[in-house]
Amino acid sequence: MKQSIIINGTEHAIDVDGNMPLLWFLRDHLEFTGTKFGCGSGLCGACTVHVDGQAIRSCVIPVSTLVGKKITTIEGLSENGDHPLQKAWLNNNVPQCGYCQAGQIMNAASLLAVNASPSEEEIDTAMQGNICRCGTYQRIKKAIVEAADTLSKEV
Amino acid sequence: MSISNISRRNFLKTAGAATGGLVIGVALPMNALAAKGIMKDSGEELNAFIQIDDNGDTIIYCGRCEMGQGISTALPAAVADEMEADWARVTVKQGDGDEKYGPQATGGSASIRVMFQPMREAGATAKAMLIAAAAKVWKTSPDNCFAESHFVINKTNNQRLGYGELASIAANMPVPEKPTLKNKSDFKYIGKALPRHDQGEVVVGKRIYGVDTKLPGLKYAAIVHCPVLGGALKSLDKSDALKMKGVSDVIEIPRFNIPFGSIGGVAVVADNSWTAQQAVKKLKIAWDLGENVSYDTKEYKQQLVRNVEKPATLASERGDIKKAFGEAKHKMSATYTGGHLSHAPMEPNASVVWVQKDSCEVWASTQSPADIQKVLGQYLKREPKDIVVHVAMAGGAFGRKFKCDYVHEAAVISQETGAPIQLIWTREEDMRTGYYHSINAQHIEASMDDQGNVTGWLHRAAFPSIGTLFDPSMIRTPARSLGDVTDHLFGVENMRVESGDAKAHTRIGWYRAVYAIFYGFAFGTFADELAYKAGKDHLSFVNQLFDNNKNKEQQAQIKRAKNILAIAADKSGWDKRQNLPKGQGIGLAVHYSFQSFVAMAVHVEVKGDDIKVLNVDCVIDCGQVLNLDGATAQMEGAVVMGMSLALSTEVTFRGGAVVNSNFHDYPVMRISDMPNVRVHIPDSDESPTGLGEPGVAPFAPALSNAVFAASGKRYRDLPFKPLSV
Ligand code: FES
Ligand code: FES
Repeated sequence: MKQSIIINGTEHAIDVDGNMPLLWFLRDHLEFTGTKFGCGSGLCGACTVHVDGQAIRSCVIPVSTLVGKKITTIEGLSENGDHPLQKAWLNNNVPQCGYCQAGQIMNAASLLAVNASPSEEEIDTAMQGNICRCGTYQRIKKAIVEAADTLSKEV
Repeated sequence: MSISNISRRNFLKTAGAATGGLVIGVALPMNALAAKGIMKDSGEELNAFIQIDDNGDTIIYCGRCEMGQGISTALPAAVADEMEADWARVTVKQGDGDEKYGPQATGGSASIRVMFQPMREAGATAKAMLIAAAAKVWKTSPDNCFAESHFVINKTNNQRLGYGELASIAANMPVPEKPTLKNKSDFKYIGKALPRHDQGEVVVGKRIYGVDTKLPGLKYAAIVHCPVLGGALKSLDKSDALKMKGVSDVIEIPRFNIPFGSIGGVAVVADNSWTAQQAVKKLKIAWDLGENVSYDTKEYKQQLVRNVEKPATLASERGDIKKAFGEAKHKMSATYTGGHLSHAPMEPNASVVWVQKDSCEVWASTQSPADIQKVLGQYLKREPKDIVVHVAMAGGAFGRKFKCDYVHEAAVISQETGAPIQLIWTREEDMRTGYYHSINAQHIEASMDDQGNVTGWLHRAAFPSIGTLFDPSMIRTPARSLGDVTDHLFGVENMRVESGDAKAHTRIGWYRAVYAIFYGFAFGTFADELAYKAGKDHLSFVNQLFDNNKNKEQQAQIKRAKNILAIAADKSGWDKRQNLPKGQGIGLAVHYSFQSFVAMAVHVEVKGDDIKVLNVDCVIDCGQVLNLDGATAQMEGAVVMGMSLALSTEVTFRGGAVVNSNFHDYPVMRISDMPNVRVHIPDSDESPTGLGEPGVAPFAPALSNAVFAASGKRYRDLPFKPLSV
């Protein structure tokens, strides 16, 4: 039995060089292109996905270290694109070019999973690793606060 | 401009259009655009399309390139408004590279300036034809009908016909000679805050960028370039790279001897991008580095400073500055500098190219599809029109993707291997093989009388010009590139402008806001220094400078500049700045560029060396605004980019090569740096102008002025706090 990894609920065999970073396994091998390449060195956050619910930079994690793990990418964050963060993102017209936004949303989702109502400083600290060169930070902050609000009302 | 009914022509089939329905093409007279210097004169071509099919589904094609600035929402929304379309029924499609769309090269903040009016008229034409169709069905007069939200309505009996039902009938109606445009008060989309048409795709990861194209049999390439401009490959040992599993080829890329051409390099082709990137590191390459090997930006900047602090080559002169300086009450001088900048869009340069025997197809993030067609046409010895360019969404561009060297390279690799090739530059290659914003120095000397009137102004600028791409022998910036200095709105009777020597040792290119970055910085900061010297506050001093401009042709502009500066001051609490806590200050600046006006009031807190930007009040006058939310977003982004270049980003060269490599040593702004940005857009009836770039320029001078107000420390060098790399 080959080693495998679960991506957005589906099991995939790891039939590549195990040193290949998860990012390229996703993008080139499985052709899930929602996860983006920005720096390749863990410096920009464009490639952020979840491993067992936690945000990681997929460009620096060899796929072989993730055997049996559950990976969530932007394509699998919600069934219908209706995660409170995705809704808040639309509501605030966050994206400009949008290239960084999958990473931003995945990182924010991981933050909200552990801290349902983050303070402004906590948002800054958690999101500091995600660059947006178009400069959408103000709206990102607003959207995270809004999504946190929605989530708190759901419980 | 002319508008035609092309419903029966078949060339839209190539765009995948359904048959039937109404298709409107718009032709801009190219000679008018040529007169504005936008493109060469090639007669009349159809530039834009609206297509309504028999279901009422409406497609509006956007010929201009989208890179996050929102043009593919703003222009189609203007069409939709005039044609009374329901925006929810409209799909926006990006036009392929094709001269039928008119000038697609997207830069200079020109899209709205050039396309707004024709797009509106196209929409109004469609509406008139749909109304005529309905009138025919009802056997009534068109005057008895009106259009609303995808329907035509009969005024007498309230009967309704949908656009889908009418489309094919409308296709047989005559094209109105002069369609009536809506009144501003009737606009539904223009001037409102409209969401971007593609946001839904972005937030679920489905928006396809240049980097995302996938094709059957796709091969992946990575590349390394010669680190020094003008260098060449001396020797290459590819054996270790070729031994790697998954690597299929190593290809030498020739130098394209054209302004926006690849500088040449070595590429590896593999099964996936990661393997290709690893294999590039295994190449054993010796470069002949060539004559730019001594380029060192630290020394070069010092040389530029020396070149502007002594007499230089005359560019323009008016009045008698000698006399003005002789009679001066106050004299003041200062030198300002700035470094190279890299655009560093989050999506690095990327494209897919597939060269086959009788076809060549390109999928690329690009600002200039026509240039790709031209260059690849030459390279492959084919007609430009035979190079099919699919314009992908660009993950940021900021001027970098106007120059499509990365596409040329993918074409070479595809030509050599016969495979469709995806070439993605690594961040490191992107950082090191750019078209950089010019390194620069400016020296200003001014004289004032006892009333604080500026009587004389000597302005020397030295920076390697973008013109060096086209003429590498150019040793200083030509007078025409100093026009923004000569024609600045400040009223100075006696002025002398000089150009200091500055040979280029790397590729210089347009970077969002271009020369306005350093002109805005020097003018805006020096005005503040003069105000201080004259014992006046910035606002009244700058107003006086504007008032001293007696040039009749500039009066309208001066009025607009003064107006927005006053608003920025007002919104920021400028009047009450004395009450700010110790260590805080507000700085103002206003700059006119790309035919738009932007003023900023920056509120900072300074603790020791630490500069914290708290609030930015940004006021724009770009005439009539197309998309209020898009305009606001452009300003928020401009503040962030202005902040990066004011505080921290700089590309350093040593030994002819770029030292920076990635975001750790090219520190762009991050979320915790984000100030509270408030964008104010006063209502205007002036014709609309662009907003992609103008917001960048006033930030740095306003920041310098704010820091001075807060701490008494004056920053004259961009970036204020360079990282030593
Ligand atoms: S691509 Fe992974 S952090 Fe930048
Ligand atoms: S939206 Fe363009 S990089 Fe963030």
